[in-house]
Amino acid sequence: MSSTQDTLVLLLAGGVGSRLNVLVKTRAKPSVPFAGLYRIIDFSLSNVMNCGIKKVGVLTQYKPLSLMRHLATGEAWDFTGRSRGVKILPPSTGFRDSDWYKGTADAIRQNLSFIRAHPAKELLVLSGDHIYQMDLDAMIQFHRQKNADISIGMMVVPKSQIHQFGTGITDDEGRIVEWEEKPKVPRTNLASMGIYVFNTEYLLNLLAEDKDMVDFGIHLIPKAIARDNVFAYPFKGYWRDVGTIQAYWEANMDLLRDNPEISPEAWGIRPNPESEQFVTDRIPARFSTGSKVKRSMVSAGCVIEGEVINSVLSPGVRVGRGCRITDSIILHDCVVEEGATVDLTIMDKRVRVGKGAVIGTGENKKVANTKYPDHLYTGISLVGKEADIPAETIIGRNCIINPWRKQKDFTAKVLQDGETL
Amino acid sequence: MKFKLKTLAMILAGGRVDDLGVLTFHRPKSAIPFGGFARVIDFSLSNLMNSGLERVAILSQYRSYSLINHIGIGSAWDMVGRYRGISILPPYIGYGHSQWYRGSSDAVYQNLDFMQYIDPEQLLVLSGDHIYNMDYKKIINYHREKDADLTMVCLKVPIDEAHRFGVADIDDEDGEFGGRVVRYSEKPKNPEFNWASMTIFCFKPEVLYETLAANIKEDASYEFGRDIIPRMMRDNRRVFGYKFNDYWGYTGNIEEFWQANMDLLGDDPPIKFADWNIRTNMEHRNIRDCQPLKIGDNARISDSLIYNGCIIEGEVENSILFPGTCVEKGAKVKDSVLFFKNEVGKGAVLDKIISDVNTIFGRGVRIGGESQAGIRETSVIGWNNYIKANTIIGSGCTVYPSVSSERIPKQVHSGEVVR
Repeated sequence: MSSTQDTLVLLLAGGVGSRLNVLVKTRAKPSVPFAGLYRIIDFSLSNVMNCGIKKVGVLTQYKPLSLMRHLATGEAWDFTGRSRGVKILPPSTGFRDSDWYKGTADAIRQNLSFIRAHPAKELLVLSGDHIYQMDLDAMIQFHRQKNADISIGMMVVPKSQIHQFGTGITDDEGRIVEWEEKPKVPRTNLASMGIYVFNTEYLLNLLAEDKDMVDFGIHLIPKAIARDNVFAYPFKGYWRDVGTIQAYWEANMDLLRDNPEISPEAWGIRPNPESEQFVTDRIPARFSTGSKVKRSMVSAGCVIEGEVINSVLSPGVRVGRGCRITDSIILHDCVVEEGATVDLTIMDKRVRVGKGAVIGTGENKKVANTKYPDHLYTGISLVGKEADIPAETIIGRNCIINPWRKQKDFTAKVLQDGETL
Repeated sequence: MKFKLKTLAMILAGGRVDDLGVLTFHRPKSAIPFGGFARVIDFSLSNLMNSGLERVAILSQYRSYSLINHIGIGSAWDMVGRYRGISILPPYIGYGHSQWYRGSSDAVYQNLDFMQYIDPEQLLVLSGDHIYNMDYKKIINYHREKDADLTMVCLKVPIDEAHRFGVADIDDEDGEFGGRVVRYSEKPKNPEFNWASMTIFCFKPEVLYETLAANIKEDASYEFGRDIIPRMMRDNRRVFGYKFNDYWGYTGNIEEFWQANMDLLGDDPPIKFADWNIRTNMEHRNIRDCQPLKIGDNARISDSLIYNGCIIEGEVENSILFPGTCVEKGAKVKDSVLFFKNEVGKGAVLDKIISDVNTIFGRGVRIGGESQAGIRETSVIGWNNYIKANTIIGSGCTVYPSVSSERIPKQVHSGEVVR
């Protein structure tokens, strides 16, 4: 019998992911579209499906509507049936306590009744924020073999990035002996992926000890390491936290490499096309005579009359004649009208780019965005959902067009590098 | 008030259509892939869905599995609910009666009890074999307005093609909309009129029941076109013709099927595909799980429809590619239709072919093009074939499904058939 029969999954999907800027104005980070027709959470959900776990609770908090519509009945990931299910667990008021989720551990604590209602030997806590493929069954096996109280999925990351992660120092057996959360000076390159296997009983006791412990990385894990059995499960492979615009863009571009490390279909990742709630299906992508497409991903429903190079296009994007799209990520149903050019830009859904407009231009890629210098500093410009960019507008590097900007909001023809509208 | 169903739609989807050859060896015509992701029957089903007709029965007999699999529970067309649904009606063994469907009207007659149980106000009988976009509500409204016993939808065809169809002579009672059918003849040798029946019939149920019963007693004949409509004409029933004047893909043979596919392409395609609001069953062949189409550095694509799940490194021109098809570097696919999961090896050239699912074309394979006689007919490759590297196959050839690769000669001349 598979080890996953006795496992309950709780998927943390409540985070804001504010560094994704306009992409998370209308949705939570797990619900941000990725690789054309997926959403970020599809990767975690599909990993769960592929290892045979049947029950999942998804903890939501920030802007959950898009996520709830996407999950629907869970049918896309085969979570429907007598013994299967995916449940949305929003914060709720109770008899005595009522509060938002104050942290990862607090979110789990507030759902003790769900955990008790689905008794399982182990509890697998995942984040819905990451792009990866992982054999979760193997991790649970590891957890049992080690007789661990907690196992943490960890991987080697470059020292330059280690300050973003929880880090652990392990002994020869893989036991974690020291823990540092987001260290300024790294002593190890082993980073936590935010993937935890807990013995359920153990976790329930630990959570009951002190209600002020609200975060796994900051509170619970260090405490557990000091006195109990906490092991690092080593993960090798492609894993990205696409929590910044730069990382999000790079991970999309990774799809376009020769022999890419990331390959959603080969990984068994499933999207939920039904969640678009289109009455009808999208037809195949149409390429006109005179179109030119190189090193790109193009989804069904696109109509390509112009040029698309090194870009990822979600369903229903229209690229008019004489257009040129390079190094960009264009989400669903954007319309790029005749002669417009788009370079190094992430465009949210249903944006219209008027004729001859130029989005992302100039050599000053290092002029950071003035409002969000730590979000946009490598040249990428962002266009929010359903913005309507007038013809002939010129937009520089590291610019932000907020969602729903109308033609009349564009008071100047030119948006300088680093500006925000 | 008790709920009474207004319209029950019966789709005739049992036939194989001989002239489509290897494409219908393992599936009925209605289950043939069309349009880069869909199946032929999706057009009728989507028309029904878009017309708000959601109580449907499908009469299926020939190699039903592919079709049954495709229909699933009908949720793809939103036909699941208290008064909505798709019932598949196969032939059956009954008490003192065991019979295959002997023809289109026999299939309906054998399900008389089903229809009487549903007891609709109108009965819409359709073929599931054709490519078109139609609002059936208009036909039903016309039918009710005329208090017709039968309203048949007709399309004007060139007179020299009229012999292939049941043709009606429609008077001008309602001008361009339609009128009374004054004469009807089935596949006439020397046609005098040319409003071809599209096999879309709206019946007053009681009249159909009577006619079917009389027909079986007196004639023992089994076709709507050949037997039922002429009988209704003889009986002076109120038979009306509704004139349709838009695209109709009859696709009765390989060249017509190829042409209907090509009608999806071009700057101003005859089929306005995106406007037709087609739905298919995305579960079938798991096409919902495909990643976006990947296009490589050396790809050249022009005037083509390509669905998710394909990988294009070579050249694709004027073609339609279904999910899971790979075109490797230096390969060229031109004027062709490749069903699901084809692999076109490096340097292979496919020119005017239709390839069924799961076929691998080795490196340097060349298929199609012009024959020595200057004829450029479609070559058809049946499913599950492996065509070895550098094989040359001419135009108008047929390779049967699942032929052992050893049995496919290095050179197949134009017009030959490989079994």
